[in-house]
Amino acid sequence: MLFGPHETNLGRGRALSARHVAHYARRAAGGCGVVVTETASVHVSDHPYERAPLAADCGPGWADVVAACRPHGSLVLAALGHTGAQGTSAHAQTALWAPSAVPDVVTREVPVAMEQPDVDALVAGFAAGTRVAVAAGVDGVEVDAGARSLLRQFLSGLTNARADGYGADRARLLREVLAAVRGSLGPGRVLALRLSCDEEAPWAGITPALAVRHVRELAPLVDLLVVVRGSGLAPSAYRPDGHVPPGFNTDLTRSVRAAAGGTPVVLQGSVVDAAAAQRALDGGVADAVEMTRAQLADAGLVRAVRAGRPVRPCTLCNQACQVRDVRNSPVSCVADPSDEEPLPDGAGRRVTVAGGGPAGLEAARLLASAGADVRLVERAGRLGGGLHTVAALPGRARFADLAGWLAGEVARLGVRVDLGTAADGGDVVTTGARARAGVTAAAVLAGAELPPGPVLVHDPAGAPAGVGVAELLAAAGREVVLVTPDAVAGERLGGDLGPANARLARAGVRRETSSVLLSAGEGVAVLADRWTGTERSVPCAVVVDAGPPLPGDVPPGAVGAGDAVAPRTVLEAVLEGRRAARAVLARAAP
Amino acid sequence: MRHLATPLRVGPVTLPNRLVLPAHLTNYAVDGAFTERHAAYYAARAAGGAGLVVTEEVSTDPADRPYEKLVHGHDPAVLPGMRRVVDAVHAHGVPVVAQVNHNGGQSDSLHTRTPVLAPSPVPDPLFREVPREATAADLARLVAGYADVAARCAAAGFDGVEVQAAQSSLVRQFLSGATNRRTDRYGGPLEHRARFLVEVLAAVREALGPGRALGVRLADEEGGGGGTTLAEAVATAGLVAGLVDYVSTTVGVATATLDRVVPPMTTPPGYARPVSAAVRAAVGVPVVGVGRFLTPAQAERALADGDCDLVGAVRAQIADPEFAAKALGGRAGEVRRCLGCNQDCVGRVGRNLPLGCVANPRAGREAPLPVPRRRRRVLVVGGGPAGLRAAATAAARGHAVTVWEQAPCTGGAVRLAASAPGRDGLRPLVDDLAAECARAGVTVRTGVRATARAVLAAAPDAVVLATGARPARPAWAGGSGLVVDVREVLAGAVAPDGDVLVVDDLGTAAATSVAELLAGRGCTVEVVTAALVVGQDLGLTLDRPAWERRAVALGIRRTTERLVTAVDGRTVRLLHHPTGATEERTVDRVVAVTPPRADDALWAALRDSGLEVHRVGDCLAPRRAGDATRDGDRAGLAV
Repeated sequence: MLFGPHETNLGRGRALSARHVAHYARRAAGGCGVVVTETASVHVSDHPYERAPLAADCGPGWADVVAACRPHGSLVLAALGHTGAQGTSAHAQTALWAPSAVPDVVTREVPVAMEQPDVDALVAGFAAGTRVAVAAGVDGVEVDAGARSLLRQFLSGLTNARADGYGADRARLLREVLAAVRGSLGPGRVLALRLSCDEEAPWAGITPALAVRHVRELAPLVDLLVVVRGSGLAPSAYRPDGHVPPGFNTDLTRSVRAAAGGTPVVLQGSVVDAAAAQRALDGGVADAVEMTRAQLADAGLVRAVRAGRPVRPCTLCNQACQVRDVRNSPVSCVADPSDEEPLPDGAGRRVTVAGGGPAGLEAARLLASAGADVRLVERAGRLGGGLHTVAALPGRARFADLAGWLAGEVARLGVRVDLGTAADGGDVVTTGARARAGVTAAAVLAGAELPPGPVLVHDPAGAPAGVGVAELLAAAGREVVLVTPDAVAGERLGGDLGPANARLARAGVRRETSSVLLSAGEGVAVLADRWTGTERSVPCAVVVDAGPPLPGDVPPGAVGAGDAVAPRTVLEAVLEGRRAARAVLARAAP
Repeated sequence: MRHLATPLRVGPVTLPNRLVLPAHLTNYAVDGAFTERHAAYYAARAAGGAGLVVTEEVSTDPADRPYEKLVHGHDPAVLPGMRRVVDAVHAHGVPVVAQVNHNGGQSDSLHTRTPVLAPSPVPDPLFREVPREATAADLARLVAGYADVAARCAAAGFDGVEVQAAQSSLVRQFLSGATNRRTDRYGGPLEHRARFLVEVLAAVREALGPGRALGVRLADEEGGGGGTTLAEAVATAGLVAGLVDYVSTTVGVATATLDRVVPPMTTPPGYARPVSAAVRAAVGVPVVGVGRFLTPAQAERALADGDCDLVGAVRAQIADPEFAAKALGGRAGEVRRCLGCNQDCVGRVGRNLPLGCVANPRAGREAPLPVPRRRRRVLVVGGGPAGLRAAATAAARGHAVTVWEQAPCTGGAVRLAASAPGRDGLRPLVDDLAAECARAGVTVRTGVRATARAVLAAAPDAVVLATGARPARPAWAGGSGLVVDVREVLAGAVAPDGDVLVVDDLGTAAATSVAELLAGRGCTVEVVTAALVVGQDLGLTLDRPAWERRAVALGIRRTTERLVTAVDGRTVRLLHHPTGATEERTVDRVVAVTPPRADDALWAALRDSGLEVHRVGDCLAPRRAGDATRDGDRAGLAV
């Protein structure tokens, strides 16, 4: 089991921090076999995000990670890389390096084609980074030739148009890097390679067939091979959200393993379910599995599996763990948004939690685990609340798994659950938001019938609900118009923005961007252009409001949490459920 | 500059002149504290003659953190940093005031993981998070927070504080009917909506004690949606003028109409003068007017016309820290002008990056120029922004610098870009650089075609290559004679007419401005891009709203998600890449706005010649103007 390299924004400057150490140590303590640290740049020409580690600055941090993880039996590999043309010049304010002056589709920055002194400096950087890591006591290093890497840019016909030896033999640089790293690594340490084996751009990119050829050549040079996919043209393919089925690299990895000549191969790619991972290992797909997001959701995944305990599921939402974002928020998880700290003893305390959504379930779970006598009151006929609304969206079904896990834990811990019961007060109130008037996206997701005719989804939020409801309605055969004030649909979707717009286009959803909804009635809606005010009409039998609801009610004296306080996402609900549990226990016993 | 030069008493504080550096975000904070970088940045503007420095906002509440690098005024640990800023500005005899603020609902919980507070649960148009409605107890706590921070500012030695009640602030949200839907004594009529501001001002005044100035920054009309009208803004100023020593005016809401707060180059200078004029007519305290003052003469005129008592100019003083000193010292013509390009100031700050400036690559990197050990002969090849910047910096350090420019005049790609509609604001970049070179004694020779042989024959001590880029024909153009590069159109080498398809692969103003040029000449223009938006970078520089309006007025059709696959006769084939559907257009011209290729022939010929050779700007990698001036400055420092 690997905990793969991922951006965390936990660093201090370009060094690893104490928060990094705690982040990795939690997973090591949870039974993870191999911790691969956040990819460190091997040269100052690469500064892809503000807190991107720089290998030269990482020695003390790597040593601390090793010291924290080794007692748990985990190996620590230091990931080394360079993002080349897929970085940004925003931080270093120098031209990006690339094999050829081909701009990346996302950054649109024209890079400088590396000359021999630059190539030499890059290879030397990998060697120097390895020496720093070895001096820190790591068990090995991982070289990044994955979806976002300069080494992949050299391997690929999409980006390497060089006329020199590094163009005629596109794997030459990677071989030189691996040789230099091996030389610096010395005996007894692991050399791993993260390799993009499908760039999803078959006209010039690395195809699975070509990858097999690469692997025949490269696998003998390394001790561990992590099979990944993605490229500058398929940036979201590496770690997509739930719109892509889990385990999507299974066939690719199986074929690569056959060519790897016995070098152990790792399955990566939305592996979030322990049983599926075991099947992949049993079925000869791979020798190990990388479950990064699954271990963000449940740091103790391996121990839980060994003990037969249910694992807190990853929702594959990418909401809080995909942090390559200019805002620099630290890595987190909607299901586990804070490090769980011990609660005050709740023995002898009787606590009523009103509302069985994510906030109430999490509060009840923690209160019960602290020994309190907990009663959970839920108005609906099942637990989960808003989690089921979210789970009804395309690609978000795993939110129902989170509801199931929370309900199971609450039951296991002996919480008394009263379903179909209106809340009669309570110590913790998590009864959710208050709906706006009209037809809301939440109502549609809950199964509300719409009148026949064209549907206008009004989306002032740009969040998953608007796009998702539009997709669902289109899939049900409805004529759908999505109206947004933004220049693009789903502006807040992060990594799913591009894929979501493509899905809407393919579904035939008409996107009315930069538009304000003025009125609707009698079969038409009147829209105004946001900038010019020019009005136009679109057919509309019903408007579905994808805007946020209103805050609910928290009676005086109760501790509120989640949407009842202010409608936000599952992350805030879970986090505030935790805080509410603590706040209740911190109060003097009645 | 008689008016600009006149001192003014602002409450208990005397300003040496009428030019203010208003509050603006820099992202120079580290761990929520002012840094040495802040101190050096403000000190350079004070040394450069500003009459008053207002720092960027310092927050009054740990639950308020709309962006990562906010200064945590509420944290006692910020005191040493505050003192460094105060001392650095005072060293130049200039008063300095801290802006105190709470962003309220114009924020989200990303950095705090606690709900945002606002007068009413109305989501902000930018942050889009539903706030928690502030209770009476919250409000008492928040007012105390303002007082606590004001006391800290006084202890740090600030000459006063300015309460932010505009742009992005909880106070503004109380003042505005669009965000204040309360039914208690803080909502309803203006007198009630202003109650929170009045309470804050009273508490801050008490915390400040005597001898320090109290200012307030007030908004103009918010444009519809039940928001503040100009009449209400003026009435608010009247309500609170008796409680403050000055009123600073502004236009726009930071999270809704930032293009009015920090307008792009198409907005005329002095556009906000009517706002300060209206406020000034209603209050008896000094009024700061703002709004894209690019030259000292524009500032002087606003004062002479009585539209304000003080002129606030942010970007003008980012671009030239000595704006005021030059204005007052008879050197107004030497001011390095702000372009209004917004690329490296608001364009970087909006991406959580430290403030910079295209015209002034040393903004935020204030440091004395290193003196070289000996005077060297430096040859700069190419008189675009990179070459001119390299020449000016090298010459300022004492080197003997010569520039060879191939064209009849300097300016390079910037002069070409500035010839398009709405982009003439770029021209001062190269005009001012040429003037700076002339003052520094740089020899500029135009019409010189540099060859490796000529460079070697000149035998300079160092060469800076700034030879720019040239159009690169995209693969889809094939051999079509219909396809021309945007540079050929701007240079007048080709004059398209009829139906024109502009293919935008860059997302910059290059495509949008050439589209405007051609539509203005009567062409039928469509801009097509593979991206989701035409001109996607126009959002960062706040050019989008005005571009959208101009595009509609000119009938420019904008088409997204299409790749050009081939040009066959007059037929252009397009691929709608999400669906794979194909389309055709029949046109008279295709204008390619695609990545150019570095013109690096001289580099290839000279890099191994034994000469000290530096490569800067587009001939290294074709990028933006700010990259060119930064590269040039670095080379000027390195030679």
